[in-house]
Amino acid sequence: MTETLNIDSIRTNFLNQDYDERHFELTPEQIVDYAEACGETALRYTDPEHPDFQAPPTFASSFQPGKRLPDGFPKLPGLGMDAGKAVSPKAPMRPGVPLVGRTHLHDVYAKTGRSGRMTFMVTRMEVYDPDQLLLATADTRIVIRERPTKVAP
Amino acid sequence: MILDLHTHSIKSDDGRAKVQNYCQWIKTRDIPIDGFVLTEHRQFDNQSDYNELAREFGITILKGSEVETEYGHVLVFGVTEALQQAFDFSDIHLPLAKVVEDCEKHGAVAVPCHPGRPRVGMHAHLETFGVPDGVRIVEVYNGGSRDSEDEIAQAMAEELGYLGIGGSDAHIVSHVGRCATRFPTDIHNESELVEALRAGDFEAITNRQ
Amino acid sequence: MAVSSIRDVEFGAELPVFEPDTGLANVKRFVVAAGWNGPRFTDHEAARKEGLPGALVPGILSQGYLAAMIHRWAPEALIQNVDTVFRAPLIVDEPCSISGVVTDIDEEAGRVEIDLTITNAKGETRVFGTAEVKLPA
Repeated sequence: MTETLNIDSIRTNFLNQDYDERHFELTPEQIVDYAEACGETALRYTDPEHPDFQAPPTFASSFQPGKRLPDGFPKLPGLGMDAGKAVSPKAPMRPGVPLVGRTHLHDVYAKTGRSGRMTFMVTRMEVYDPDQLLLATADTRIVIRERPTKVAP
Repeated sequence: MILDLHTHSIKSDDGRAKVQNYCQWIKTRDIPIDGFVLTEHRQFDNQSDYNELAREFGITILKGSEVETEYGHVLVFGVTEALQQAFDFSDIHLPLAKVVEDCEKHGAVAVPCHPGRPRVGMHAHLETFGVPDGVRIVEVYNGGSRDSEDEIAQAMAEELGYLGIGGSDAHIVSHVGRCATRFPTDIHNESELVEALRAGDFEAITNRQ
Repeated sequence: MAVSSIRDVEFGAELPVFEPDTGLANVKRFVVAAGWNGPRFTDHEAARKEGLPGALVPGILSQGYLAAMIHRWAPEALIQNVDTVFRAPLIVDEPCSISGVVTDIDEEAGRVEIDLTITNAKGETRVFGTAEVKLPA
């Protein structure tokens, strides 16, 4: 038998609880390289002398947590596929500002059928500045197709 | 009448299009279709009523579903309450034979979609499971196809004697109508769509450049 | 002409097509800046050994291209959200082009929604997404 994830238990034990914290600090060169490689032309992303110089709005998507899933998270019963990314910038990320990225399991749900399931998980990193101002959220969506337990005809 | 037989709205997990915006897009951009069928993944949307939108824009909006079988994904047209009782639309390992049989029994039509696509298309599973019974129509133009997926679908349809439909498989507004199906008569509801599909008088078309 | 106000925008408006730089040197520059430096993004041979068709353009770079395209169209645009679905990989050194169209306008809120599609040279969709953007009144 294939082990299946207990969604209720996961929601109770893991949902909305930070399981990872990582620190970041951007340099002007890093921001310019990132922005120019993306093809940004707006000077607030490409010119460190610009009074509103800041990281491009999708930068938070590149921040990776130290752990993919919380400690003690059940073993995934199938192949996890990256189903997409969403990023929501809330306030500018500036160079030289210590940033902290806290990650939690933001949503998990299953589409259950008689003989198999797909589990959808969204992990969210929230990026804060030292004043705890939320600068951005970055979501990663993972779909797990639980392996079929029966042999098809 | 031209209908895009394969679209998704925000009701699908990976859909990003609002139905109203599909309608606005079709009218504003003169997309050469008269309507579309919402085929949400692994579900039938019993809640939404698009009649008012359809009237406002003069567009036919019908509902179907896209379910998952061992042969890949399958569009279901003519979903009824009884059909929803017959099998679980959210099951990702439905036996195609059962889907086809239940559709037949409950006045619906099952159409394997993007059959040339690896893993989720019917062609990839023929060698393992053989040619399935009861399939008469497959999607031969899919707006999301890449490489030679549509060519594989068309060759398979020709070899096995299947009729072909077209659908955009749109998940965002601007992709609606990329592929569609032309019918000789007007279709106003799901029953008429089933009737037209069963009559076999239709033609898959592509509007992709 | 660059868009400076939501009043300049109509439903269905097309953003100028953007052909981003997917060349190896540019991707290397990006992954180093992003902290994603690895052979699957910077070495075709190593990527092929992993069973990939070639070195991959990271999904987060695709997302960055989309944001850049919006700023090229409306330099003062404030991006609220970019949501991307990766349908198939973009390969380093293979050209691609991005199209964008306005699919919703809320003039009161100063907000527009944009559909974005990245296609390869054969016109196949590799990445698509939507963006919510605030524009000056």
